[in-house]
Amino acid sequence: MSVLSVQQLSKNYGAVRALQQISFDVPSGSVFGILGPNGSGKTTLLGIVMDVLKATSGSFSWNGHPGAGSEQRKQIGTLLETPNFYHYLSAQKNLEIAAAIKGRGKEDIDRVLEIVNLTQRKNSKFNTYSLGMKQRLAIGAALLGNPDILVFDEPTNGLDPAGIAEIRELIKKLNHEGKTIIMASHILDEVEKVCTHVTIIQKGIMKTTGTVSEVLSASPDVSVIIEVSADDLANLQQTLSVLSGVTEIKKQDTFLQLICDEKVTPAMVNKYCFEKGILLNHLGMKRKSLETRFLEITGNQSDR
Amino acid sequence: MLNLLKIEWLKIKTYRTFWVLFSCFVIFFPASYFFTASKFMSSRDITAEERVLKGMLGAPFSFPGAWLSSAYFAGIFFIIIGMLFILLITNEVQYRTHRQNIIDGWSRMNFLMAKGSVMIVLVLVSTLLVAICGYIVGSKYAYASGNANASEGIQFIGYFAIMALLYLMVAFLVAILIKRTGLAIIIYFAVVCIIDNILWLIFYARDSQVANFMPLEVADALVPNPFKPKALEKRTVGDSTLILAAFAYMTLYGYIIINRFKNTDLKT
Repeated sequence: MSVLSVQQLSKNYGAVRALQQISFDVPSGSVFGILGPNGSGKTTLLGIVMDVLKATSGSFSWNGHPGAGSEQRKQIGTLLETPNFYHYLSAQKNLEIAAAIKGRGKEDIDRVLEIVNLTQRKNSKFNTYSLGMKQRLAIGAALLGNPDILVFDEPTNGLDPAGIAEIRELIKKLNHEGKTIIMASHILDEVEKVCTHVTIIQKGIMKTTGTVSEVLSASPDVSVIIEVSADDLANLQQTLSVLSGVTEIKKQDTFLQLICDEKVTPAMVNKYCFEKGILLNHLGMKRKSLETRFLEITGNQSDR
Repeated sequence: MLNLLKIEWLKIKTYRTFWVLFSCFVIFFPASYFFTASKFMSSRDITAEERVLKGMLGAPFSFPGAWLSSAYFAGIFFIIIGMLFILLITNEVQYRTHRQNIIDGWSRMNFLMAKGSVMIVLVLVSTLLVAICGYIVGSKYAYASGNANASEGIQFIGYFAIMALLYLMVAFLVAILIKRTGLAIIIYFAVVCIIDNILWLIFYARDSQVANFMPLEVADALVPNPFKPKALEKRTVGDSTLILAAFAYMTLYGYIIINRFKNTDLKT
């Protein structure tokens, strides 16, 4: 059963159509990425399914229950857009309020503060926190009560590289524990690294949805990229330039990038080079990245 | 409801601005009331004219007048509580914590009821203070009215509660509609100090009883100026009618607040 099912969801702000007829299902146990350029409608979509924004039309259901009732929301850990806390209260006090609203006790607060590395600063006021600390506190608040569903909107916003890596690992770990994670991001690398499923939105229109591999393999461009390297790159380039199926060779600093027909495999390239007396010291097939696919789908412009 | 109030208490118990403003009311109202009472009741250094004037005013600081005068003085300072209540709501919008409360699991009605519970506590605490101050002053100067029965005129404490509730409902409405702290407070002051008085004046000048049914005057009329000689009182509408009208206004404001908040996008 789908954890979240969105059907024909639309949202208008006056003449601006922020979301148009969005439909998708989030399978249980998935890490579901909502990917789109800035201003594409990701946060609007999450705002609607968390009941802070009202849809113009369409519907959604959590675990088969229509809408986002109070009891449903208490079972979901959410970080939406920016960390929202009482600036004059400490992390501890802010989490006490969040826990009380969720109908949970204070006993879980120490655990989540430990997870997000804020134990040492738990008594500091929120307005003394750095952007990264605020973000980590918001993630900690979402983890209160160990919910089975987590909604993260740009979870690595404001974090330093180590913090980004920590949060990515945390998301993977939570997913391995069986939790369903819905994550909006405009960072392609982030989605590619942690998501099992992805929906791409642009200008409020859903462009594609499916597993990450389905989305990648749906590309009309079927060319493959093979990377090779040898001691004598110039000789290697000259040799491979006549190999059947190789349409283009891009010379990089220490290797060559072969753009080939889909029938060309790394084994064929290796065999060909060996027969020509060239020993390869690097051979790899480069997977088409989500970035490439994303740009194919959305073009190069942001939605602003 | 009690659980919602407990959560609101977590929000405000260490909020310095709240306590500063609340303290202003708790200090300035009794201080000015006690000071005025003391000056008024002092018979030293007053002229014969002042003595005549005092005689016309009766005994506003001894029972039963003390209840009314206490309620009237508190009413002057109650605008501070109105401002404080606006701040408690608009701060939530400014820092988007109202969104977070909903995301964490409150319904929109829970949020409104939580603020409503704070409003009721503010009314109850203010009313208690009015009663205590009225009792202290009334007891101290009881001799001026020949030791009249202390329970006489105590209905003004209840009238103050109605007035306080109406003022806070207006503050609630302004905060929900305007959202921005500064602008909401300015508009609240304008409604309380200017607009309602202008409306009242328009009808009062025509000797119309409609003047008593203006949005805030409806409660103000229940707690009239204790220094105004009764002979100048033009109101013929009964207290019960004004009370009904005040509750009708509160119902209307409540309806608008609920309808607006339940159907709006929660943004800053």
